[in-house]
Amino acid sequence: MLPVLARRVANIIPTLAAVVALVFLLFSVLPGSFVSAMNEDGRSNIDPAVMERMRKEMGLDDPVTTRFAKYVTRIAVGDLGTSFRTREPVTKLIAARIWPSLKLVFAAMCFAIIVGVPLGFLAALRPGSTIDTAAMVGAISGLSLSQFWLGLMLMYLFALQLKWLPSFGYGDGGLRHLILPAVALGVGPMALLARTTRAAVLDVLNADFVRTARSKGMTETRVVEWHVLRNALVLVITTIGLQFGSLMGAAVVVEKLFAWPGVGSLLVDSVFQRDIPTVQGCILLIVTFFLVINTLIDLAYVSIDPRIRYG
Amino acid sequence: MSQSTPASATADIAVKRRFRLKGGLSLWIGGALVGLALVVAIAAPLIALTDPVMSANLMNAELPPSLEFPFGTDAQGRDIYSRIVYGSRISLTVGVVSQIVNSLIGVSLGLSAGYWGGLWDDLVSGLTNLMLAIPSLIFALAIMAILGPGLVSLVIALGLTNWSYSCRLARAQVLSLKSQGYVQAARILGYGDLRIMFTQLLPNMLGPLIVIATLGMGSAILAEAALSFLGLGIRPPFPSWGSMLSEARDQITTVPWLSVFPGLAIFFTVLGLNLLGDGLRDIFDPQATTRRT
Amino acid sequence: MRKLVWLAAVAFAVLGIAAAQAQDTPRRGGTIRMTAPYAASFGSLDPHATPRAQDDIVGKALQRSLYNWDTANNKPVLELAKSVSVSEDGLTYTYKLRDDAYFHNGRKMTADDIIWSYTRIMDGTKGFPGARYVRIIKGAVDVEKGQAKEISGLKKIDDFTLQMTLTERVEPGYYFFAGTTAILPKEEVEKGNYAANPVGLGPFKFKEHIPGSRVVAERWDKFYKPGMPYADKLEVLIMAEAAARDVAFRNKEIDTSILGPAQYVAYRADPQLSKGILEVAEMFTRAMQFNPTYKPFADKRVRQAINYAIDTDLIIKRLVKDKAYRAVSWLPPSSAAFDKTMKPYPFDPAKAKKLLADAGYPNGFEFELSTSQNESWGLPIVEAIIPYLDKVGIKLKPKLVEVTVLTEIAMKGEHQAFIGSNLTGPDSLATLRCYYSKTPRTACNYTSFNNPEFDKLLDAAGEEADMAKRNDLLRQANNLLYEEAPVWFFNYNKAVLAYQPWIHGLQANPTEITHQYPENIWVDATSPAK
Repeated sequence: MLPVLARRVANIIPTLAAVVALVFLLFSVLPGSFVSAMNEDGRSNIDPAVMERMRKEMGLDDPVTTRFAKYVTRIAVGDLGTSFRTREPVTKLIAARIWPSLKLVFAAMCFAIIVGVPLGFLAALRPGSTIDTAAMVGAISGLSLSQFWLGLMLMYLFALQLKWLPSFGYGDGGLRHLILPAVALGVGPMALLARTTRAAVLDVLNADFVRTARSKGMTETRVVEWHVLRNALVLVITTIGLQFGSLMGAAVVVEKLFAWPGVGSLLVDSVFQRDIPTVQGCILLIVTFFLVINTLIDLAYVSIDPRIRYG
Repeated sequence: MSQSTPASATADIAVKRRFRLKGGLSLWIGGALVGLALVVAIAAPLIALTDPVMSANLMNAELPPSLEFPFGTDAQGRDIYSRIVYGSRISLTVGVVSQIVNSLIGVSLGLSAGYWGGLWDDLVSGLTNLMLAIPSLIFALAIMAILGPGLVSLVIALGLTNWSYSCRLARAQVLSLKSQGYVQAARILGYGDLRIMFTQLLPNMLGPLIVIATLGMGSAILAEAALSFLGLGIRPPFPSWGSMLSEARDQITTVPWLSVFPGLAIFFTVLGLNLLGDGLRDIFDPQATTRRT
Repeated sequence: MRKLVWLAAVAFAVLGIAAAQAQDTPRRGGTIRMTAPYAASFGSLDPHATPRAQDDIVGKALQRSLYNWDTANNKPVLELAKSVSVSEDGLTYTYKLRDDAYFHNGRKMTADDIIWSYTRIMDGTKGFPGARYVRIIKGAVDVEKGQAKEISGLKKIDDFTLQMTLTERVEPGYYFFAGTTAILPKEEVEKGNYAANPVGLGPFKFKEHIPGSRVVAERWDKFYKPGMPYADKLEVLIMAEAAARDVAFRNKEIDTSILGPAQYVAYRADPQLSKGILEVAEMFTRAMQFNPTYKPFADKRVRQAINYAIDTDLIIKRLVKDKAYRAVSWLPPSSAAFDKTMKPYPFDPAKAKKLLADAGYPNGFEFELSTSQNESWGLPIVEAIIPYLDKVGIKLKPKLVEVTVLTEIAMKGEHQAFIGSNLTGPDSLATLRCYYSKTPRTACNYTSFNNPEFDKLLDAAGEEADMAKRNDLLRQANNLLYEEAPVWFFNYNKAVLAYQPWIHGLQANPTEITHQYPENIWVDATSPAK
């Protein structure tokens, strides 16, 4: 197990390095600058002389190569730079957003798994039945909805009409405020999971070794319980991993809509205000999250299905 | 990093292979929905009632659906029906062109990486992992911010950010086909690498690629709506469904027809593409057909 | 009988007064829940570090500057000083400061704090946005350049007497009411973590900041205005998404919400919501600014023709849903130099065509207009203009950019025209300087306006000590600008704030409607907030 872990961690590093370079490159050619963005709301008021000085101070006029060299040297020691906007270290800004972000992503994934997996499983046990058709039609519809529209509808229904839940915000960080954004974010992965689970279970049910198990006289329940579960699990967990990993980045729309204080809303805000150090920090965090989750999933994979070996 | 990891290799299969909804039916329903959207897009000038841009008339602003304006009018007094009809051209363009770009990038990288292997393969695999790791919406957002809002920028942004699936698929297919008899035979006959790739390998993977592209079109149309919501979508006054829906979100309850019709157009088109993709998968994936109970 | 009627009348009157008093007497306690609508986060809670309107919403609660904006009389008034005397030459101001203003750490404010704060703002290495205001004090620029340690124009007479010498004859209230010139306690700032734990002079004391979500503040008991603030607690909730804010407001989760045109219509039409709408003509002028380096726009007749060609009133009525006032010049109605008798350009396409023909463009011309997506002064407006200009032969090509990029385009001058919103107050002289020939493009003369007559009027206004005469000169300059039409004059913003029935004491602040001095606000018992 340990060498596998070491290999996987070693694999993360070049990817992260490439992300650093790519993100830097992308945002160095972005038109507009933090200084001109100060007037972005059309209401703030900033003096040209001050703008000139800030450009210098922030090194916005330096050649790209100089800026990149500086950036890389800082990153190497774990310093993500100073936010243009708040004049605070980017690490500090991001640290404040990690917990809400993780909460939202975990909650959305929980919703997706709790609803999606059993739905797909039920559908696969009775292929072609009404349950199957209804579940799959629901799943495909879930994949065809625009996220912000779905979020708004949830707000109207559960906050304004039914008065069950608050419509927006972080509140005290409790469950009540978490539910609506988590559902809005989790519907896509839920639909995908339901479909994957169904397909995986169907595959396994019809595989040769299950037939063998049946012919050996194992009861239907035992078959389902053991072989099916373990083999289907591999596929399902893979899907969960991919979805889970990309969810933090996919949350930007939901976070903006629900005023959820996660990394995604910080990222979008920072893109529009051209606070480039913060943008870079957020993307690095999101990518790291993806890589870590997928490494964990790969490890889980090995322990569930011992047939898989790393070459 | 030379080998695709078990997790990711299976993921391709898991996520992209085995969705299906009663095979034939989903193909037909999906095909019908997509076909309708296509017909509308092609025949737009014939079936639209007015010009989608120049028909603005503030005296007619925000009228509810009527005989004259079947879907009502927007804040500029333009006929929403006509805008949706013309909007199909934009949404389908976004879907089709971005997927063509994706497929071209993905297939050429995946084919060559699988065929030649070695350092090139390592490089492509690394790049693919990188693209998977950066959330495509954020990548697209950055590209849109750089290029400025607009149809061309959008197609480029979505075309550059979602090729990793087709790349992985192409590479995996090549790896499994490379050793098969007819490829070996072609090699003995002295066919060049490129000729083998394009005449022997590519045709064998077209089916799954089309499935990926079909599903990808749906995602692209939704991504367009999301980018509009974030403020970096297509440049109006040209009607795009995503920007129409996004602009109308303040008035979902007060002037519902502004959002209902573009919302339905997006939903049914993406639904159609997803169903069609499922149906095509059943056709192109012979294993799935034999295994179906 | 007569007596009885009389008695009854008295009884009714007494009852009536009592009832009215119950309505008017501010209730102590409760929570105010305001919204911050302009971004998905706050920039900084250090008021010197941020020029953003969004951040000053919190600043008004936690911090205080030398002056406040007095909404009732529409001018700046003394806040941290009890009185002020001005020298003969109009340059030296002597302030008698409050001796009852306490920072939230319990220390009393003195003249030293003001001197220290203004000196900090002038730290040239920091580039604080408030420097543009403090620069009006003699010697401030030397500090900025690093040539002096102290601002020579600021002198402490005693703990509560401050002398300030200015470089120009201006009303310092326009400069020192800004949130970026707030007075901060030195010892707290020097601890090094001020933005995370802001300590100010304001009516509310900082309690909590959840970045991206909200700021919570509590009543500051030693606030200098007796009985104020009324509320126990103040929450400023970040809500940049208008559609979500609408749901939250209708769901009674927030007490105030800024409205866009579409929601303005919906709220006015609703019998309940229409009772809680606060409107004010804000000091923002929306206009399409022409770049005279693009040949057609060098001709005044072409610029006027565009003003004639567009049915501006209809656009304001239908598209902006009356959430704006027709612009009849550059200065907004709240300016003292505004001319109430001005008539706008009438909608007259025939005249526009004739002017175009006279200018040598009988078949029109084509130009590119850079615009943002803003619903009140961006793309939707441009979409509505296109057909009008088309009718007089002018082809308009919109170029959509982010607001950030718009500012940069305007400064570089590579555009042909752009449409945007401009702050046009509160100081009318400073506002009109944007059209002074010596003002560079980068400093807001986006139309490279150069008119000797206009310059002369502005010079004279700057010299004039008498306010009434100065305003008269500014009025002439402002009207001249309208005639010259360096821009298409579109509208002045009507800012609209929806508020819940239990909120009282909101101020219609024309400098920015979300900037509420929260000590005046009180919440009655019907509020659902604890």
